[in-house]
Amino acid sequence: MAKVILAVDDSASVRQMVKFTLSDAGYTVIDAVDGKDALAKLNGSGSSVNMVITDLNMPNLDGIGLIRSLRANPAVKGVPILMLTTESQESRKQEGKQAGATGWIVKPFTTQQLLSVVKRLIG
Amino acid sequence: MIDHRQAFQDEARELLSELESTLLELDEKREDNELVGRAFRALHTIKGSGAMFGFLDIAAFTHGLENAFDRLRKGQLTVSQDLIGLSLNAADQIKKMLDAAAGLGAADLTRSEAILTELRFLIGAPETEMAAAAATPPPPAPVQSGPAREWRIRFRPSREALLNGTNPLRLIDELRQMGDLRVTVDASAIPPLSEINPEHCYLAWELMLTTPSDANSIRDVFVFVENDCELTIEPTDGAAVEPETPAAPVQPAESRRAAQAAAAGASSIRVSAEKLDQLVNLVGELVTVQARLSEVAARREDAEVLAVSEQVEHLTSALRENSMSIRMLPLRATFERFRRLVHDLGADLEKQVELTLEGADTELDKTVIDQLNDPLVHIIRNSMDHGIETKEARRAAGKPPMANIHISAQHSGANVLIRVSDDGRGVDVEKVRKRGIEQGLIQAGAQLSETEIVSLIFAPGFSTAAKVTDVSGRGVGMDVVRRNVEALRGSIEVDNKPGTGLTVTLRLPLTLAIIDGLLVRVDDDYFILPLANSLECVELTTSDIEDAHGNHLANVRGQLVPYIRLREYFQMATQKPEREQVMVVETEHGRYGFVVDQVLGDHQTVIKNLGRIYRNVSVVSGATILGNGTVALILDPHRLVQNAIRAVSHNNPVVGRKNGRARDRRNQNKSNTRKEVTIDAT
Repeated sequence: MAKVILAVDDSASVRQMVKFTLSDAGYTVIDAVDGKDALAKLNGSGSSVNMVITDLNMPNLDGIGLIRSLRANPAVKGVPILMLTTESQESRKQEGKQAGATGWIVKPFTTQQLLSVVKRLIG
Repeated sequence: MIDHRQAFQDEARELLSELESTLLELDEKREDNELVGRAFRALHTIKGSGAMFGFLDIAAFTHGLENAFDRLRKGQLTVSQDLIGLSLNAADQIKKMLDAAAGLGAADLTRSEAILTELRFLIGAPETEMAAAAATPPPPAPVQSGPAREWRIRFRPSREALLNGTNPLRLIDELRQMGDLRVTVDASAIPPLSEINPEHCYLAWELMLTTPSDANSIRDVFVFVENDCELTIEPTDGAAVEPETPAAPVQPAESRRAAQAAAAGASSIRVSAEKLDQLVNLVGELVTVQARLSEVAARREDAEVLAVSEQVEHLTSALRENSMSIRMLPLRATFERFRRLVHDLGADLEKQVELTLEGADTELDKTVIDQLNDPLVHIIRNSMDHGIETKEARRAAGKPPMANIHISAQHSGANVLIRVSDDGRGVDVEKVRKRGIEQGLIQAGAQLSETEIVSLIFAPGFSTAAKVTDVSGRGVGMDVVRRNVEALRGSIEVDNKPGTGLTVTLRLPLTLAIIDGLLVRVDDDYFILPLANSLECVELTTSDIEDAHGNHLANVRGQLVPYIRLREYFQMATQKPEREQVMVVETEHGRYGFVVDQVLGDHQTVIKNLGRIYRNVSVVSGATILGNGTVALILDPHRLVQNAIRAVSHNNPVVGRKNGRARDRRNQNKSNTRKEVTIDAT
């Protein structure tokens, strides 16, 4: 069964790129526009998610908040969380790690970089 | 990629109009942080996504603006009329740049510059910060494809690694793709069951990776966990690479150092054998003390002490293997020396003999090798003199005039087998029997197997040579071989093929100092079986015994394995427990089980010699001191089985050699409990 990845970003083009790249590589991608949307889709889908990719700067519920609520949710315990950061966000990266993110990828990234990081985390 | 670019342009336009309305709103409600945040996010997305899809000019330009709003957001700046005006101008400029990218006119780059300069002036940001280019994709790390090197990677993830979604196995898999990988897991940090948190990761790994990639590429695999795990990456050829190696290509100086270290690694130093022996003795003592520590720790049930003791055990075991390996030498030098011997003897005896070698690279403890020379010389002399025929006799027997002596060495569990085979006439069994009777070594009417008769050649004073030659025949020699080999805790066997040759096999222990043993218990007595030969442990219940109708056979997954009950073998007059355990051991005679009360586990066994009185006790190859001070005898499973087979074939309890059965008293332990143990001697 295809692995399910929840991709969260408020940028439509990034969402499209992530979804396109990962679907192409055989993953099932659910996308969400912000943290709130992500949590709703997670609860609504009922299916298990194998990985979460999230941007940090988002309206309503930002990436850090999303990571914190995911880590507090036993249903998605131990699921790898990849955060999308920009170089200027070193402190945010640390914050994200402390909140429980598994890894990060620095924007801008190429589709190959994204795929290799996803493979590293969930194979 | 093209459609992503289009998607970004659409998105950016949307964001820009949103930014515009946000800015206008902000002009009215200057204290509204939510509006500042919205504007920042719009700019942040334009910058981030722009860089992602190749709109580097837009990304670079927007970065300056984003910075300003970040500072607004953090309260380092206040919203001003000028700033909002400038921001609106900037938004227009971004729109123009988008148009330009879409092929609609050209953007005025000087205007971009002007806006940024004005912005810098407005917010007073240092120039460098503003110029900090919008993220350009970092150039891919150059692939280092030098010659493959071996790296030792020690990796201990944090306890919480699994909770954070890290799967250490993925990292190991990724390393495996880089080259040849050997993985050793270190489970020593696993706490007692009562303290285990199943969601924690207690394992650590030692990974030996042979790859052309450099340390940074390896480190890159661990980039997500680097800061919260223990990680060392070092080449095994000794050139240390600091954990914090800057991400620069290998410096020439460093590679030079590596080359030097490699050269140093290839050379060696001479150390006197005495010092090595001392080292091994000390390690032996350490192992004994460590066994005591483990014992005490286990009794205290103190997790902290237990953890330390386990670490000490781990280290001791590594130290032991290390110091043992220092003493290992290949047999080649010893073997090569026999070429001269064979050549000289051949000339003396007027026989043409060639020597062939096999497995000369097999390594053996130096002490064993040193004491091996004499026995081998005797065996070769014996073959040359008695076994190999004269040229005429060989021709008559249809053999090539050039005779062959083949010496081979091979590993077999914790032993090394050294075989000396010749293609001579073998041993004349009838002649040996007659000589044996004449010399009073055997009774005239004794029923002896062929093997037993042939073993007579190892009896003291035995010789069949009609005349005493310079080479052999004085009857000293083969018994010396036997004594020497047994002093090495080895054994000797003869495979005689009358007419076609004789093979003498020496079975020697790899080392004389410390072995991996399996500790077993029968009643209050402890024994050690060599771990290298042990296969598995199964239970033997009363019903199993009934099923076998009194035969000493255990059913191991449908396979019948004969067993020897140590309690019976050693005639211990104690009641056997309801459940016994069978240790299945691979011997030269096939699989045999040894029935004990309990298998206690593996034990680093420091071999202590038994006194001279026990020299004839063949089934016991030594003794060791356990953690609680008790003495455990080290059993030789091959001899045990051999004796048992002989006992069965003679249909009486084990037959001994000339001196029959030795009843020996041995001091069981220091508490002076003397126990009578009967050991069948051969």
